[in-house]
Amino acid sequence: MSTLPREEWYDLARTTNWTPKYVSEDEMFPEEMSGARGISLEDWGKYDEPYKTTYPEYVRIQREKDAGAYSVKAALERDNFVERADPGWISTMKAHYGAIAVAEYAASLAEARMARFSKAPGNRNMATFGMLDETRHGQIQLYFPHTHVRRDRQWDWAWKAYHTNEWGAIAARSLFDDMMMTRDAIGVAIMLTFAFETGFTNMQFLGLAADAAEAGDHTFASLISSVQTDEARHAQQGGPALKILLEHGKKDEAQRMIDVAIWRSWKLFSVLTGPIMDYYTPLEARKQSFKEFMLEWIVAQFERQLLDLGLDKPWYWDEFMRALDETHHGMHLGVWYWRPTVWWNPAAGVTPEERDWLEEKYPGWNDTWGRCWDVIIENLKEGRPELTAPETLPVICHMSNIPIVGTPGNGWNVKDYTLEHEGRLYHFGSEPDRWCFQVDPERYKKQMTLVDRFLAGHIEPADLMGALIYMNIAPGETGDDAHNYEWMKAYMPEKQAAE
Amino acid sequence: MALFPIYTIFEEDFVVQLIPVDTEDTMDQVAEKTAYHVIDRRVKPKEGKVLRVRHHESGEVYPRDMKVQDAGWRPTETLDIIFADE
Repeated sequence: MSTLPREEWYDLARTTNWTPKYVSEDEMFPEEMSGARGISLEDWGKYDEPYKTTYPEYVRIQREKDAGAYSVKAALERDNFVERADPGWISTMKAHYGAIAVAEYAASLAEARMARFSKAPGNRNMATFGMLDETRHGQIQLYFPHTHVRRDRQWDWAWKAYHTNEWGAIAARSLFDDMMMTRDAIGVAIMLTFAFETGFTNMQFLGLAADAAEAGDHTFASLISSVQTDEARHAQQGGPALKILLEHGKKDEAQRMIDVAIWRSWKLFSVLTGPIMDYYTPLEARKQSFKEFMLEWIVAQFERQLLDLGLDKPWYWDEFMRALDETHHGMHLGVWYWRPTVWWNPAAGVTPEERDWLEEKYPGWNDTWGRCWDVIIENLKEGRPELTAPETLPVICHMSNIPIVGTPGNGWNVKDYTLEHEGRLYHFGSEPDRWCFQVDPERYKKQMTLVDRFLAGHIEPADLMGALIYMNIAPGETGDDAHNYEWMKAYMPEKQAAE
Repeated sequence: MALFPIYTIFEEDFVVQLIPVDTEDTMDQVAEKTAYHVIDRRVKPKEGKVLRVRHHESGEVYPRDMKVQDAGWRPTETLDIIFADE
């Protein structure tokens, strides 16, 4: 039996904005869930998704994707790549899985909100597939690391991280709760799919896939590419929603949602992806610096898309460009220094050759972050490892939930952006972080950072051990230097010669 | 005499840190308690320099013998610890 080509029936079949008979439109699409913003059902019906697919097509393609990724995994199982991989690469995988896998389920709920409550039929249709995508991403990114749980307990954090009060997990949860779990359907379309997925998922997944292939980890590369192809499709839900908002004079509101989502996403990626790309990935496997990748994949892409749609660059764009040179170096130094508080083993990434690379990519690195590393290296060299470990907490930003950092050494510029609101003193890592709070203080004002919890007496005993217990970091899970300080040999020529 | 939390930024360091001080502490003691978490950890000491406490936002530098309880700080007030000649 011949069937009609998709383009001859698709638009008609997904035009499902029927007039409800048994309930009112407001009961069917409550504003707090739909976020129609006063735009009529008829106008939302004009939403035109750029990527059209049908359920049979979707199932066939997804089956092929799964078969591909699982086959590569099965074929390479005996290859034991993980046994011989650089420890920095292992840390990359552990950090990635812990920060991303379970959040995919949250993304599935966000897609479900659009699938049920968006007033745009095209959005509902695409989100139905998006919902299935995200469930697949959660499953596959839990299944792959599970193979390695027998190697050490840090791998178990792929599942465990989001169920703890570990500081990085709090930061990731705070961002994803904000964008995925507590927004109406149109807010999700714009903040999650347009702002976060178009740019930042690209960075995490395309960049990591390239680095994985270069590092010889074809299992991880195929997994990541498999996920990315879904993202490339369902990330396209935000654009048409933005067009409708702009046509109805809602530019300011749309712009605000984008500006908040881009900044918040950037900050999380500055602590997660920045250190991975510029410090953990073995030098010979690095394709681009984090900054180069950001400029190519996010900055250029966002600028073009925003301007094409009739939106503006976020007001903080100059600050964003400046931060690309700076923030992730501070995050890396902080994560390494407070390494017992993370579920992976941070790679220092500061051998003389790596420092040359950092200086080339970030001129001035040696006079700034390098100065702090000089002291750390000196301590390790002279047998004072206790001075390379923390005895107090870094102050955590009330928006990003990650430490407040700046440039050290000759470029010293560390700044705390404070705000007193309803008698409480808040601290932020940047002007845009503080602005995100000021845009909607009701949404954020009750958030307690890890330091707030410490000061409120939630952490007992009030020391590092108490903090580790509070963060559910069990013995055998605490982070330590990825290479067990082997890289220090480069700074000890006399000992190296003796060996 | 009571424990009092402040946030400090040490000159040439990269991060803001939580430092528990006492309301009876002098500014020199505040600087010393911060230095414990920074000097010879991420920043080298500077010979011939003393450490002074400065309000992060207003830039006011406090007298070295002033006590925390007299400085009018809010809990988690942010302060710079800077190298100075005297």
